[in-house]
Amino acid sequence: MHVLLPRTLEEALEMKASAPPAVPIAGGTDLMVELNFDRTRPQAIMEISRLPELNVWRRENGTFSLGAGVPYSRIVRDLTEFRPLVEASRTVGSPQIRNRGTVGGNLGTSSPAGDALPVLAAYDAEVVLAKAGGKIRRLPFAQFMTGPKKNALAPDELILGTRWKVVRGPGSFSKIGTRNAMVIALASLCLVLDEDGRSVRVALGSVGPTILRAPDAESFAARAMETAGVWRDPFGPLPTRVIEEFGERVAAAAKPIDDVRGTAAYRRHACAVLAQRALRWALDDRKLTGAR
Amino acid sequence: MVISHALGARIKRREDPRLITGRAIYVDDLNFAGMVHVAIVRSPHAHATIRSIDTTAARRAPGVVAVWTGEDVKARCGPLPVGPRIKEMKAPKRFPLVIDGVVRHVGDPVAAVVATTMDAARDASDLVEVDYEPLPSVQDPEAALEPGAPILHQDLGTNVCFRMTYGGGNVEEAFAGADVVVKTRIVQQRLIPAAMETRGVVAQYKGGELTVWTSTQIPHVVKTTLAETVRLPEHEIHVIAPEVGGGFGSKLDVYGEEGLVAALALALGRPVKWIESRRENFIATIHGRGQIDYVELAAHHDGTVAGLRVRAIADLGAYSQLLTPGVPTNTGLMCCGCYRIPNAHAEVIGVFTNRTPTDAYRGAGRPEATFLIERAMDLLAAELKMDPVEVRRKNFIPPAAFPYKTPTGAVYDSGNYERALDKALERADYRALRDEQAKLRKQGRYLGIGIATYVEITGLGAVAGLSGGNWESATVRVEPTGKVTVLTGTSPHGQGEETTFAQIVSDRLGVPVEDVVVLHGDTRAVPHGVGTFGSRTTPVGGSAVYVAAEKVKDKAVQIAAHLLEAAPADISTDGARFTVRGSPERSVEFKDVARMAYKAYKLPAGMEPGLDVTHFFVPKERVFPFGTHLCVVEVDPDTGEVTFRRYIAVDDCGNILNPLLVAGQIHGGIVQGLAQAIYEGVTYDDEGQLLTGTFAEYVVPQATDVPAFELDHTVTPSPHNPLGAKGVGEAGTIGATPAVVNAILDALAPFGVKDLQMPITPRRVWEALEGNSASR
Repeated sequence: MHVLLPRTLEEALEMKASAPPAVPIAGGTDLMVELNFDRTRPQAIMEISRLPELNVWRRENGTFSLGAGVPYSRIVRDLTEFRPLVEASRTVGSPQIRNRGTVGGNLGTSSPAGDALPVLAAYDAEVVLAKAGGKIRRLPFAQFMTGPKKNALAPDELILGTRWKVVRGPGSFSKIGTRNAMVIALASLCLVLDEDGRSVRVALGSVGPTILRAPDAESFAARAMETAGVWRDPFGPLPTRVIEEFGERVAAAAKPIDDVRGTAAYRRHACAVLAQRALRWALDDRKLTGAR
Repeated sequence: MVISHALGARIKRREDPRLITGRAIYVDDLNFAGMVHVAIVRSPHAHATIRSIDTTAARRAPGVVAVWTGEDVKARCGPLPVGPRIKEMKAPKRFPLVIDGVVRHVGDPVAAVVATTMDAARDASDLVEVDYEPLPSVQDPEAALEPGAPILHQDLGTNVCFRMTYGGGNVEEAFAGADVVVKTRIVQQRLIPAAMETRGVVAQYKGGELTVWTSTQIPHVVKTTLAETVRLPEHEIHVIAPEVGGGFGSKLDVYGEEGLVAALALALGRPVKWIESRRENFIATIHGRGQIDYVELAAHHDGTVAGLRVRAIADLGAYSQLLTPGVPTNTGLMCCGCYRIPNAHAEVIGVFTNRTPTDAYRGAGRPEATFLIERAMDLLAAELKMDPVEVRRKNFIPPAAFPYKTPTGAVYDSGNYERALDKALERADYRALRDEQAKLRKQGRYLGIGIATYVEITGLGAVAGLSGGNWESATVRVEPTGKVTVLTGTSPHGQGEETTFAQIVSDRLGVPVEDVVVLHGDTRAVPHGVGTFGSRTTPVGGSAVYVAAEKVKDKAVQIAAHLLEAAPADISTDGARFTVRGSPERSVEFKDVARMAYKAYKLPAGMEPGLDVTHFFVPKERVFPFGTHLCVVEVDPDTGEVTFRRYIAVDDCGNILNPLLVAGQIHGGIVQGLAQAIYEGVTYDDEGQLLTGTFAEYVVPQATDVPAFELDHTVTPSPHNPLGAKGVGEAGTIGATPAVVNAILDALAPFGVKDLQMPITPRRVWEALEGNSASR
């Protein structure tokens, strides 16, 4: 097996162009498991964890760009304004795994159980892909991830990172697993409120072939908040029935399966519970912040 | 006995510095020039006939030195031990590789590939072509009992390995005359022992001696067994258990790989190494538990238990390993728990299934016994609308009744069950907890309080499947400089006896703990031994050290008296110095006595030189630790998640040699016990494929998943050994599982949920609450 050691992004993209089967490795928290279990034997791996271009983040014009190589432990420490992302990052593996694992890795693996992915989906994030010659593609998350461990990355491309429009409003990430930490989620959920757009966004992990949004539930909740006047007045009451129905509609968007970790029925139920709780937390947060 | 400054002291484990700084040597750390590596080809089928094995491609692969199949093993190896000789037991022979052309579980070893590197061996093992003809398999032990079930061992003609009954009194009459009868069916799911270090063996034949390093709890038993398996005189075999990274019973065995690697080393004339992968560990190392228990408890309206009936069906897996039948039979022996049950009957049936063999796993039959009786007591309390505490109190064997013989035949040495219970209740503030529970229920929150009062049996060893008996050996050797070397036949692998045994010697001889070194796990250094298992190391092995040290002290006193020209009865000692009573100026130092013992020109007439005693301690009876565990949980009825609120354990292991080490054993034990309650469980599919084949599916709890433990003790010394000690290695596991399950079911009582299958995952709780039991 060849190990490619590019020093810059440009070099990495050229190597990728001339050896498309080369598999990029940053933290290695997914890839090394595959290699150890002999599930994959790539001809070459390309070490990208030291590429400076991937280890940065940037704000410009209301957009936030996160480099593919930023490890979860730095997100937890430094990006506290993005609460759902921090909460998701905190549930990734152990401290050692969080020191090595990256959002780029979650995107590259494209597992429906990837903890950061529901957050990116709820952020309406774009995935930024690059190839040699400075060619950049930006794909909406839903177009990037196409199935379980499947994505639209071309063989000669690398994932540069992800970017999203920063929205004002509360949000959370939560998951249910078979134990508290270091566990593959049975169901995970990210909820984000966009105060300015007066919209609700929900994304589900581990309950379908890809990360699923729940558009019907989202517009239902946004409308109900409008009707109840809650967008204007955070202390305005939202009927309990609305929250329950929101949960049911979110659960209806899930496409779970039975496996050794859990049943489809339980996963669907868990989506409803997580959705109701997430909406309640968000409404409570708005009361504290005055929806500012 | 008198507990001195050394015994009972909170001394940190002397083992730990080398363990936590990475200086300890495990089997996989051994590397020798010319060493070759073994990879084992294992059956992917639960039951199949081997039509043919083509090793041609594997033999041609780079680095391959040899490829063995059953034929090679048949020519070179005898059978492995197959368990205690229970009357009319039918146990098949087992060998390092399958030799009769039938594989009986996924993971059964079929061929061995030896190559110059581990990677080459593993790559080449993929090239061994085995042509299997699948046979119908049987997974469920009850299905295996049905007429027409596939038979695993055709020559036995049945899947029943053994049937044993325990009991006394008149059970039929007791049930007929009882006011209430509660019944339950308990599935003790299979568990994976999951020691941090997987198994591993290195063997080398050199200079007429076969040296085998193996990750085992019983090096002396391995040595004796290997002599028969590889047909070498026993005195040419040297077995070493180097640092062993946990066993929990899974290394209380003589495994095929030990024979295989030894036979390969003999045949190839090169050092041979085999290290088990984690995946192999899940299918090729024994599983624990695996029992279905039908339990019926008869009682009167006032809560007095009249009778107990148990039918235990044990899933032995495909073969009988070293102690396999000894596990469920412990359940039969111990099923009456802490209670005076005049009429009891237990039938234990051992059944072969097409799964990985089961054998001893932390508790080995006692967790199953405790669980069934503690669940039954809670069911009885619910039936009679009594407090679970009161039902227990009503039926405890009273302190004055010891020694107490149960109708199943166990003779409990000593106990005061109510004292431990009271201490736990007081610590928990039980009344306040019940009040809080009632208050929270009104708010739609579900608190559960679970109690388990257990008694268990330790100090085991007299099992016919072992080459050793119920004794343990110790040598206490005072070196000529006064330093002390202790040789123990036990084989500690994490329990900390390098510390506690030094404390025993320090206590007896007065030498500082730092002057005592404890050697173990090497059959050349330690002439005789049985091993570490069944919570026997301290009560049996520690007692051997105690008596040997006493004998050394007696001899030292005699020598000192001779040197001081006084009568031995007039000598007093503080350990460092021997003094003639009443004449403080007439004294001699311990180290000078030691030197004189070896210089030997001034010894009492007829005394042999040396200050070195070997003692075989044979316990008169077994000893029975007990205690109360109390667990408080909160169950989220929306998600089914269980959160621990408190965990209180009051354990009585007799005299405590080192509170730090006892706490460590209890902590680890509780974690493994609560793991069975809510996290861990082996799942197979209908074809006998292991679905929980990695740690991603088999959920072992981590630090964030367990509560803080509140520990306390009562002390009821055992009369059966000079330390007054009872083993404590398994108590935590035994108490924890029923305490946690009782707590969860107590929380769910308002929903009418009476039983839940372990592990009680959020999904199972939710399904029970939904009345939706689509669960497997």
